[in-house]
Amino acid sequence: MLAPFEIHEPATVSEAVDMLTHYDEDASIYAGGTELLLIMKEGLVHYPHLVNIKTIPQMDAIRLGIDEQRLKIGAQATHRQVEQSSLVQEHIPLLSEAAAQIGNLRVRTTGTIGGNLCFAEPHSDPATLLLACGASLDLSGTNGVRTVPIEDFFTGLFETARKPDEILLAISVPILPVGSGSAYSKFSIHARPTATVAVILHMQDSIIDSARVALGSVGPTPVRVVQAEEILRGEKPGDELFAAAAAHAQAATDAVDDIYGSAAYKAHLAQVLTQRALEQAATRAGAGDRVH
Amino acid sequence: MSSTRVLGSNVPRVDGRAKVTGQAKFAGDLVVPGMLHGKVLRSYLPHARIVGIDTSAAERLRGVVAVLTGQDILELKNYMYGHAIKDRPIIAFDRVRFVGEPVAAVAAEDAHTAHAALELIEIEYEDLPVVATLGDSLADDALQLHDMSALRAGLFHGLGEFQVGPGNVCYHHDFERGDTASIFSKADIVVEGEYTFPAVYQYAMEPHTVIAEYDSDQITVWASCQHPFLVRAELADLFELPLANVRVVVPYLGGGFGSKSYTKMEPLTVALARKADCPVRIANRVDEAMVTTRRHNMKCWLRTAASAAGVLLAREVRIWLDTGAYADNGPRVVATAADAAPGPYRWQALKVDAWGLYTNTAPAGSYRAFGATHLAWIGESQVDEIARRVGVDRVQIRVNNLLRPGEEVRPGGKPLDADLVNDIRTIAKHLDWHAPKAPDTGRGLGISLLAAGAHPVSTAIVRLEADGTATLLMSSTEMGQGVRTVFSQLVAQELALPIECIRVPGGDTQKTPYDRSTGASRSTTLGGTAVQRAAQDVRKQLLAAAAEVWDVAPEAIELREGMLWHADQSLTYPELFLRYFGLAGGEIVGQGRVQPTGEGQGSYATGPVFWEVCIGGAEVRVDRDTGRVTVNKLVSVADVGQALNPQLVEAQEMGGAMQGLGNALFEEMLYDNGQLLNSTLLDYHVPSIKDLPERFISSLVENEDGPGPYGAKGVGEGSLAGVPAAIVNALGELGIPMTELPLTPERVWRSLND
Amino acid sequence: MIVSTEVKTIDLRLRVNGKEVAASIEPCALLLDFLRDQLGLKGAKRSCDVQVCGTCTILLDGAPVSGCCTLAYEAHNRSVITIEGLTQNGILHPIQQAFLDASAVQCGFCTSGMVLTVKSLLAQYPQPTTAQIKAYLDGNLCRCTGYWNILTAVRQAAQVMASTGALSP
Repeated sequence: MLAPFEIHEPATVSEAVDMLTHYDEDASIYAGGTELLLIMKEGLVHYPHLVNIKTIPQMDAIRLGIDEQRLKIGAQATHRQVEQSSLVQEHIPLLSEAAAQIGNLRVRTTGTIGGNLCFAEPHSDPATLLLACGASLDLSGTNGVRTVPIEDFFTGLFETARKPDEILLAISVPILPVGSGSAYSKFSIHARPTATVAVILHMQDSIIDSARVALGSVGPTPVRVVQAEEILRGEKPGDELFAAAAAHAQAATDAVDDIYGSAAYKAHLAQVLTQRALEQAATRAGAGDRVH
Repeated sequence: MSSTRVLGSNVPRVDGRAKVTGQAKFAGDLVVPGMLHGKVLRSYLPHARIVGIDTSAAERLRGVVAVLTGQDILELKNYMYGHAIKDRPIIAFDRVRFVGEPVAAVAAEDAHTAHAALELIEIEYEDLPVVATLGDSLADDALQLHDMSALRAGLFHGLGEFQVGPGNVCYHHDFERGDTASIFSKADIVVEGEYTFPAVYQYAMEPHTVIAEYDSDQITVWASCQHPFLVRAELADLFELPLANVRVVVPYLGGGFGSKSYTKMEPLTVALARKADCPVRIANRVDEAMVTTRRHNMKCWLRTAASAAGVLLAREVRIWLDTGAYADNGPRVVATAADAAPGPYRWQALKVDAWGLYTNTAPAGSYRAFGATHLAWIGESQVDEIARRVGVDRVQIRVNNLLRPGEEVRPGGKPLDADLVNDIRTIAKHLDWHAPKAPDTGRGLGISLLAAGAHPVSTAIVRLEADGTATLLMSSTEMGQGVRTVFSQLVAQELALPIECIRVPGGDTQKTPYDRSTGASRSTTLGGTAVQRAAQDVRKQLLAAAAEVWDVAPEAIELREGMLWHADQSLTYPELFLRYFGLAGGEIVGQGRVQPTGEGQGSYATGPVFWEVCIGGAEVRVDRDTGRVTVNKLVSVADVGQALNPQLVEAQEMGGAMQGLGNALFEEMLYDNGQLLNSTLLDYHVPSIKDLPERFISSLVENEDGPGPYGAKGVGEGSLAGVPAAIVNALGELGIPMTELPLTPERVWRSLND
Repeated sequence: MIVSTEVKTIDLRLRVNGKEVAASIEPCALLLDFLRDQLGLKGAKRSCDVQVCGTCTILLDGAPVSGCCTLAYEAHNRSVITIEGLTQNGILHPIQQAFLDASAVQCGFCTSGMVLTVKSLLAQYPQPTTAQIKAYLDGNLCRCTGYWNILTAVRQAAQVMASTGALSP
């Protein structure tokens, strides 16, 4: 049951920003609504004014950046669009794989990647994965357009660096160079996962020359395991190395006991999933010229 | 005898087309003219005194027609209900005993208004100490949740002398034979353990929905209820009306599984309709349904004694079941759990004590295979452990100790009516018991018995019309199991009619005759027997009419393909009616009934009606690093006497097995001091298609050893209870002992690392 | 909050099961309630209310959405298919027939949503693998059947639809 509200239909980003500014706390951005309508139905929040940004054209476009070094994913691309985009599948296949695992088919049909990131649910799949990818987010508000690196975007539980008058326009994701291998591992019992791990490796002459490891669901925000990345860099892939990296992942969790599992178990899972993801990513990286 | 073989064939569901086209009506699809929208305000505290309720602002809201509180029900002479124990008020009046207990209810012209009105109701509570767990409830200084001296037996207590207490004991059931103490002190092998079983939510996908109308001295209720006649009796008692003045109409149910058994939301909805003087609909949300009923959580201490050769000698059990704030079907669950605890073995001595305890959580009631699901995994895991210690194969130890058909299961009860040895061997065969296994793979099986059938009273009426069609009036609730289809088959068989000529409307206590209940796997066996007898009654009258018309003996007449035959003569049923009644009209009405002093095959006077075989086998793989259990294969046996519709039997087996899988692997209601933490499906995982095991095999066993039509017995619960036992035992084979369900990855991981 | 006595409504124009429909709705109206209560199409059901169970599945421009969490407003100028739209001239859609033949219906409460999701599955993958079927149907719960017969029904429907080139997906 939803309490009554008005729906506004901006034609441009600028109009939308004006509406958000005008209605202030009484307004919310409304895109897919998969998270928003749920919490409104439960009576946790109420917004008398919904700013429907789906009426702004082209906000779901997925395209290659001008420099062809990155993919620009419109914030309003649905998870399904991300999953099925041939550009994503070609250049950052992990993003497509992960998008296919979000929620269920109906959630993927309606929910947007931007909405998911802005809601900042600690179990968010895209958040964890994009952190590993080193993405950046383009925001537009009354003070103009700015770009926020994803490392700075998630500031706390359900909190982001987005200001109330800002709209997320697009997510910029660096394209993985040849010789990259990635893996996304999600361990779930309930609808939301207990632990998620995203790993991206790049190998050159059988040596790992870059590594990014991100954990999700095991803290208030996704985190990068910088210590793991450091010991991986410059090394040959191997069980002992991965075990050592995984141990850092375990230590990097900031989990609590809850219905998804105890903190100790989540930390343990972070270690197991990281080890497995590293193995998988290394295999994919070592598989030749193809990006995995 | 009819040559049309309708029974034993996979006749398509008679309600299939309606359901697959979205035409089948459930309670929430019905519209009663003038119907108001009802919403319930529920307590957010687990235990509190109600100091005061102010509904004035809510009542003033435009569109609100009535607000009901406890004060309104106190004007009734009877305002307490509960089929076993009358411990439940229609709505809380002096205190609340669980989070979710209804405290006020609003009837309004539209749903928005009803919802808004709830927020205007002000309630002042005074916290009371919370009895959150079994431990709290059992404590010496535990606060008593009910004034035991004021409690009365419910209309359908059915468990002997009524007694409650001491302390928070809602019901105690015990039995003993032989000398357990002596045997345990001398036995070569004793296995002992403490076990924990979770609260689980039945999740019938349609939540409880009731429309009630109170019109001077008539109550009409359209409800998603499994037992309309028991609900009728309780409503008549509460509102002091003759039974015939209370009408309970049951549309299709979107699942039941026990969650809609006995009385749930009906009294509250009727009370609200009475105050509003208008029909009112109350529909639970799923989170409300989860605090309306659930499966009992349980602690159990069990030990088994055996000889060095693997002969089972004695078992001693103590069971504590958490029945929540109100009894609901708690007493029966306690008794059935006690009965199931020994398992289907020969014992020299037994000692079983089972208690149902009140706590400040939502009331627990029936859920498919209660009792057996609670205990089978425990007793069976100990049998496996004994097998390991004596070095006997786990199938063989069971073969050596299982009861045989005809042997006594419990003193005074019906002897065993199933070939359990054959059943267990069938399970082992389908598990490829002796075949080599992949690493980290375990196989296990478990067997138990459920006292099935509940109370054997069912009635049916068949009306044969002048156009050759028949209407079957019966009150078994169609909740997916296919009862309308199987019963149509029985009528079709007796009257040599095509299935399409038989109409089976839904239960309506004003129109369809008495059936005690739909549950406990009883419908085919009991309702079906009543239906068969009613059809046979029509058949007899039909033959007699034709005998008169043809002036021959009835024995010389045959029914075949919707016609009567004698020598070279034949008449369609319409032609007979024309000749016999003298017009294109008239009717032949037959009735049939089953009651405890029935005659014929399988007396119903001795309980249980039959012993349902609860059996399962599983092959699982364990990921030792995460504790995740993957089920490669589930195996079951449907020992049903006679499968009147094999496809529907198999359907019950598959559905039950997946519910068992959920109960075994991940379903668990989590509480914190009486607060349910996971009250939506986001946080309570119900098996999805991705949880399917790689293979499922169910074998049909038809030994015609049941008291139902053509030797049938019931089905539906056995496959559920078998799954936790099978999986626990598969893990046991891998050296992973589990004493707590569900077998979440974390629990398995902890067991591996302890 | 007090419900405002003055509620602004929106004019909705959409196609429902192939027919043009014009209606007046409140902005906050949910698609499920609009279809059930305003249009009388009761086939879609409300169960979990949190987009997990799938009983409220509706096809919006051919894609499955949760009616319980979709605003009716979103259906403006779009096409909606409900279970009631599948039967043509009294003839069951092959998916409906397959569900009956494979005994994939018990209580029927999940059936509307399940059948519609299968329709969208077969439109994308006319010969789906088991993995594809599971990925599509993971969001449609069934508490009665245990899913096996639903898998059979999907494969049977796929076969029938492929061989007859039957009704457009």
